[in-house]
Amino acid sequence: MTTIITVTSGKGGVGKTTTSASIASGLALRGFKTAVIDFDVGLRNLDLIMGCERRVVYDFVNVIQGDANLHQALIKDKHCDNLFVLPASQTRDKDALTEEGVEKVLKELEHQGFDYIVCDSPAGIEHGAVMALTFADEAIVVTNPEVSSVRDSDRILGIIQSKSRRAIEGREPVKEHLLVTRYSPKRAHEGEMLTYTDIQELLRIPLLGVIPESEAVLQASNQGIPAIHQKGTPVADAYQDAIGRFLGEEHPLRFVEYEKPGLIKRLFGGK
Amino acid sequence: MPRRREPRPAPALELKTTRLAGIQVILNSAEHAALDTHLSTLFAATPDFFGGEAAVFECGRLPADAPSPDWAWLARELKSRGLNPFAVQNASAELAAAAQQAGLLILNDVAPAPAAIAAEPEPLPEPEAVPAPEPALSATAPTRIIDKPLRSGQRVYAAGGDIVVLAAVNPGAEVIADGSIHVYAPLKGRALAGARGDTSARIFTTHLEAELVSIAGVYRTFDAAPDAAVARKPAQIRLADASQIVIEPL
Repeated sequence: MTTIITVTSGKGGVGKTTTSASIASGLALRGFKTAVIDFDVGLRNLDLIMGCERRVVYDFVNVIQGDANLHQALIKDKHCDNLFVLPASQTRDKDALTEEGVEKVLKELEHQGFDYIVCDSPAGIEHGAVMALTFADEAIVVTNPEVSSVRDSDRILGIIQSKSRRAIEGREPVKEHLLVTRYSPKRAHEGEMLTYTDIQELLRIPLLGVIPESEAVLQASNQGIPAIHQKGTPVADAYQDAIGRFLGEEHPLRFVEYEKPGLIKRLFGGK
Repeated sequence: MPRRREPRPAPALELKTTRLAGIQVILNSAEHAALDTHLSTLFAATPDFFGGEAAVFECGRLPADAPSPDWAWLARELKSRGLNPFAVQNASAELAAAAQQAGLLILNDVAPAPAAIAAEPEPLPEPEAVPAPEPALSATAPTRIIDKPLRSGQRVYAAGGDIVVLAAVNPGAEVIADGSIHVYAPLKGRALAGARGDTSARIFTTHLEAELVSIAGVYRTFDAAPDAAVARKPAQIRLADASQIVIEPL
């Protein structure tokens, strides 16, 4: 059984690609054969985050149009043996993604025995984003703790509920997960940001995890190593927890409570 | 549920009377260019407002000497915007003939502008046998019930009747009803009751935090939060003197 996970948000810049890379890597680290597909045709980023940009020969659109086969286009990840990246095309636009073409590629990946296919959605609610969610079994909705991001996530949830194949065919609905990213417990505590409970109250879908705001993410993307590999950082731990929860494990939420720094900490530094 | 011991198999076919709620497309002009321009402006902002509702062309307002509109083209245009025109009503013999050629049914002598169009494509066997519904209820469609959250960008419309929403109406979502609107959850989006001018329609919610409420076209926005007595609390919204939105705690 192959499970198709769409990572989406509506809004741009909230951490979809970072999340796609880390979730896909995390699933692969746990032994699942995983593919991650960049649906952001024309603005490809996933290959950079995964650090495989110099190995892109063929891309998703080439496979859809039959110019290359899937085997030629899949790039094996540097860090995990059973993780493969299908990069987006930089030179086309999203109209190159046809529903039949996307379905064909997903079917073929299923045929090749992949356990998970992670679809990294582009921002927006237009064709590219719709293509990324059409075939989803599960959706991870990435949301930042700010009003506009929550609003856009709400919108994309509505689109999942109306335009996904599962919805159109009246099958069991797409399983939705909320992932709050770039969360700063201090700013939420001080009322500058929405708290994760505020977000959940509005979106009303189960919380998969809260990823703290961290410099490690920028560092990770510049190095082309998914954040989940930055062992010991809160971001990597939070992603590990999220993957555990995704697979049905129970983990308490971490990195969400703000602790006032004590006197000693204030005097001697530390973060 | 109790069941009869020997249920008789249902017959393969049954005939019953029905009333269809639909949309009237009132033609004030038969001119191609004028219709085309107006259709484009009308649907420019909301191309997917309709979701396959049945529609009838009302010709009563066309001048007697008007040429026949291009029915096939009109039907196609409306179809592409989510309406399903299937008939013309109150058409002159000439217009009716042209409409029939374009595959439309002819409904003549139908009272213009009822809230719901009675569209019976074929004469019914025993129209008298149907008990006449009470006048007050004659135009009421069944209440529409929504039990999933309405999300930003989603819009539901209860044509001809009331709507009951059991889950949150989120910011950016829109609930529209020809009758009243009941929201048993936070109402954070827009609610428009009495969409066809029923000034007695009301809006009820257990948690008022709406962006906009409207009754029969009279609306109020909440740029400033509503009174503390009703903000985030159970409230009812009604129209007083046909022109004044009144918000009261429940």
